[in-house]
Amino acid sequence: MNNLWILNMGFVALLVGIGLYCLLTMKNTVKLLIGIEIIAKGVTLALVASGYARENLMVAQSLAITVIVVDVAVIATALALIININRHTKSLDVRKLTKLKG
Amino acid sequence: MHLFLLIGLLAFSILAILSRDLLKSAISLAVASIFLALVFFRMNAVYAGVFELSVVAGLITVLFITAITLTRGDGDVAESRGHRIVFPLFFLALAVVDLLVMKKLLGQIPAIQGSESGTFSQVLWNQRTFDLVGQVGAISAGVLAVLALFRRDDRHGNAASDGGDTGGRHE
Amino acid sequence: MLFLFIIVPLVLAGLLPLLGKVSKRLLPDLLASAAMLFLLVLAVFSARPLIADGGIIQQAFWFGAPLNIRLLLDGFSLFMLFTISLVSFAVTIYSINYMEHYGAKANYYALLLAMIAGMNGLVLSGDLFTLYVFLEVAAIASYALVAFGRGHDELEASFKYLMLSAVASAFVLLSIAVIFGVTGGVSFGAVAQGLKTLNIKYVVGFCSGLFLAGFGLKAALVPFHSWLPDAHPSAPAPISAMLSGVLIKVSGVYAMTRIFLGVFGLTPALTTVLTVMGIVSIFVGALAALGQNDIKRMLAYSSISQIGYVVLAFGIGTPLGILAGLFHLFNHALFKSLLFLNAGAVEQSTGTRSLDKMGGLAKVMPLTAVTSAIGSLAIAGVPPLNGFWSKLLIIIALVQAKMHVLAALAVLGSVITLWYYLVLQHQAFFGKLNEAWQGVKEAPFWMSAATVLLALLCIVTGLAFPFVIQSWLQPAADVLGKGVGVALNFIGF
Repeated sequence: MNNLWILNMGFVALLVGIGLYCLLTMKNTVKLLIGIEIIAKGVTLALVASGYARENLMVAQSLAITVIVVDVAVIATALALIININRHTKSLDVRKLTKLKG
Repeated sequence: MHLFLLIGLLAFSILAILSRDLLKSAISLAVASIFLALVFFRMNAVYAGVFELSVVAGLITVLFITAITLTRGDGDVAESRGHRIVFPLFFLALAVVDLLVMKKLLGQIPAIQGSESGTFSQVLWNQRTFDLVGQVGAISAGVLAVLALFRRDDRHGNAASDGGDTGGRHE
Repeated sequence: MLFLFIIVPLVLAGLLPLLGKVSKRLLPDLLASAAMLFLLVLAVFSARPLIADGGIIQQAFWFGAPLNIRLLLDGFSLFMLFTISLVSFAVTIYSINYMEHYGAKANYYALLLAMIAGMNGLVLSGDLFTLYVFLEVAAIASYALVAFGRGHDELEASFKYLMLSAVASAFVLLSIAVIFGVTGGVSFGAVAQGLKTLNIKYVVGFCSGLFLAGFGLKAALVPFHSWLPDAHPSAPAPISAMLSGVLIKVSGVYAMTRIFLGVFGLTPALTTVLTVMGIVSIFVGALAALGQNDIKRMLAYSSISQIGYVVLAFGIGTPLGILAGLFHLFNHALFKSLLFLNAGAVEQSTGTRSLDKMGGLAKVMPLTAVTSAIGSLAIAGVPPLNGFWSKLLIIIALVQAKMHVLAALAVLGSVITLWYYLVLQHQAFFGKLNEAWQGVKEAPFWMSAATVLLALLCIVTGLAFPFVIQSWLQPAADVLGKGVGVALNFIGF
């Protein structure tokens, strides 16, 4: 039972890792958002796997569903931002977003 | 079987990142979601699986595709060529570290018995009601955010008619 | 009753876009300010007796019917509720005038109220996962508020903020998932109990690291601070005040402190990490602020520096350190929102944020100049204003804990703070009046009302600090001082 949890968590780590890689290296704003989505997938998997391992599956599913709903709100906001940015820069390139010094 | 589903999930996630065409990325992401939903079904998490299928594979993909088509024709963004070399190296290093850590953890985590009772809807409604309020909050914040970002510009607007103008702004 | 703190702003946020169709300005102004005043009164008078003997858990009611929502209120959460309500009240009345030229006021207030609902929910939750959900509610509303002007800068800042903040949330959630996996629960009590019996050091260390990165990003502690100097200045001035004044404290410092002190228990390793991050933040923020020409960017960097003081004080972990941290948190909420509101008034009158172009504004905007001077002196730690006492307490706590080097560095940081605030005052308000600003008028009524209110509070808190400590801070510090004991009391939760 616990070994399945560890297997799942291993894949969670991989998903979060490649998501972070995407965030750090990609230049396309939509691609960055896909990176965020992949991290979110990893985290949802972690929640459900934890619930399965602890025989707490119902709670885990409620948590996972809440995460998904929250995620939709974040993605919708982010895409609205991207479309607005696109109106200004006519591009999806994150390198065009360097007016501020950081 | 479980392992194959997880590998499928990972493979399509990688495809979503590395694919040059954004539409292909979005669709790979949706396929990855389907794999994740299948993983959930195998773990008996039916509700989470259905949600993953309908909302993530469905709704979020639709949102992505809408945004991609709305911003189309503005030229592709040149990604650096290095990904073909850098990504496999990165992934290999990540996988090795992951494997070592997980191997070390194997059998280390003590098992505790869950104290689960009731059906899904009972749990969601009786134990996690506060989260439902949070969900409502998140949805309304998202809707309001989209409304604010796509509002019609009434900056130099015709709003003087409402009589509430106490502003002392001087241009 | 406590449920009102969440449901009033949330319901109003839902209604305002519809009401905005009827009345574009009057109704949104009136309702938002009234709601915030109501919550402030509720926090000061009604919620206070509830914590007479420690924390309570209150069941929520919806039109008389009990709901399965249990809200946790203790000294610490009440203190945060009070701070949130106070700053948001000042910000809403300020917005009455300031948001005129942005348009879409109803929508603006709706987002602001959603953000406040999120923060109140975060503070009242007794459960790691609910805390995360409300963290996201506040964050989503804040992304849209930063981008509210929809110019290039605003959108860019908001996008960067969203990306980093989404990563922060993912880290927090991943940590919660792992904790759920090892302890089988997510409520504070169950987690504290589980971690106590299990003794799994590595997992706790890993989760602490994730929380530190996640909440560190939200609080803009130094290695994770890069988004703040973009996001806070780009937002409309009242939102800058709200973000710097309360949001980074609630979603960063409060959540971190609640979990580290109240659920995990403070370990020596955590003390080291927190104090180091604190002191580094103080210096990086202060030195970067020195070189700024944009008034709001200077204030934003100064926020990083002052948050460093708060985290440093919490990191010490002694009762006095915690008390000092809370006091500085409250004071910073007062004077930083005051300074941002003043910067907004100046920007609205002159159309510029560049300190070089200002000068001599005290002659045309006397009220703004005076309140700004009070805020600057308070944040720089000049006696007898409130910032002096909290910084003094932090330094005493450091000396008591035998951290002499850190104490000396904290004093040095305070000197730098005084330096750049004198620069700010000098360049913006004193000296010869720039010809271009001859026709500039004082800020309109409600904007001045908000800044005067905050400036008076800075003075009163400074003069009556023993009273403030007795009545508001001590209960909060007691809760944190008990460590995990508090969470363990709430096991049936």
